[in-house]
Amino acid sequence: MSDVAARPSWLRRGGWLLLALPLWVFLYAVNHAMSEWLAFRFLGLTPKSHLGEAVAFLFYDTPKVLLLLTLVVFIVTFLQTFVNPTRVRDALSRRRPGLGNALASLFGIITPFCSCSAVPLFIGFLRAGVPLGVTFSFLVAAPMVNEIALGMLFAMFGWKIALLYASTGVAIAFASGLILGRLRMERYLESWVQDALNAPALGEVEEEQSTLPARLDLAVQGVKEIVGKVWPYILAGIAVGAFIHGYVPESFMAGLLGKNHWYSVPLAVLIGVPLYSNAAGVMPIVEALLGKGAALGSTLAFMMAVIGLSLPETIILSKVMRPRLIATFVGVVSLGILLVGYLFNAIL
Amino acid sequence: MLIEVFGPGCAKCQTLEKHARSAAEKSGGSHQVVKVSDYAAMVARGILSTPALALDGQLKSQGKVISTDEILALLKG
Repeated sequence: MSDVAARPSWLRRGGWLLLALPLWVFLYAVNHAMSEWLAFRFLGLTPKSHLGEAVAFLFYDTPKVLLLLTLVVFIVTFLQTFVNPTRVRDALSRRRPGLGNALASLFGIITPFCSCSAVPLFIGFLRAGVPLGVTFSFLVAAPMVNEIALGMLFAMFGWKIALLYASTGVAIAFASGLILGRLRMERYLESWVQDALNAPALGEVEEEQSTLPARLDLAVQGVKEIVGKVWPYILAGIAVGAFIHGYVPESFMAGLLGKNHWYSVPLAVLIGVPLYSNAAGVMPIVEALLGKGAALGSTLAFMMAVIGLSLPETIILSKVMRPRLIATFVGVVSLGILLVGYLFNAIL
Repeated sequence: MLIEVFGPGCAKCQTLEKHARSAAEKSGGSHQVVKVSDYAAMVARGILSTPALALDGQLKSQGKVISTDEILALLKG
């Protein structure tokens, strides 16, 4: 990028960002009072009534989640400009199972990843000599320990729950990759993938070092793109959350997803898998569930099922894997999520 | 110059293609923009994350949507 073209836009962008921060803080600070005023004064709803509480939740959570999401996406996208998939791949190449799976699970959290990149990344890893099991650890961790979900959990529920989520997600990715690697399922890759693996590699990517303005640009762009894309999911999640918050009795939720029943964890996973949402959209539901006495293990299992096992990603992966490998992959990951749910319901 | 945009067709890939086309137009030279959405072709080129952009067969960026200005700068070399 030439300096002449970069500098004015960088100054403008920098100034804009400096203005945005105090505005963000102000909006976040007045949000609670504003939501109560809107629900109880402006609309005249009765506090503590079903409708009043549901509507107040709606007015409170919509700006809150959107504000937090904006900040989290900005920070995460900025940090991700420092992570380069090529370097991650080289670090994982020819690693032994075990250490390789552990590294892959950790890298999976921070590497920028969208499900449309899953196929080239999967094959690129295998071709560079990353073992299949290690590649799977990466593929499980990347969507399941979603960096935006991690930031949102931290912002909404504190570091303990965020850490719990990250560490259990990494554990599942580690174990799933280890198991899938042991099963020696290379032959269940589609034949064109096997051909591609044996073809000679072409030249490597030469990438220029990014500048700070370019990184900030990418972060702003990430906010526009992600917030622009996920807001309908957030609104849907908040609507469900508001309904649970206002209408679902505590005894019902504590009974259904509480820690005293064997079926609460599988139930949470069964509800979660077909629900296609994303990290941000599921947060208001998690918030309402926890508020209504659902157990942490069940809630964590629900969240991981929604984010980590998504139908679109499975469809994309079916381009490279035969049904048997896909089924094993989904089965092993679901099992891991169930175990995490039971574990936390038992110990917390 | 041959400008190749690699991506299966997600939103990011379409944005990059748009940037590439407007950069090609702005630069005034004779450039050809081609969209490649075949996975096997991407793999053969060593692409790990999409969207990616190549100039005359040389991969210039991957995994991010670079701006029209950045592509212009690349075109000018």
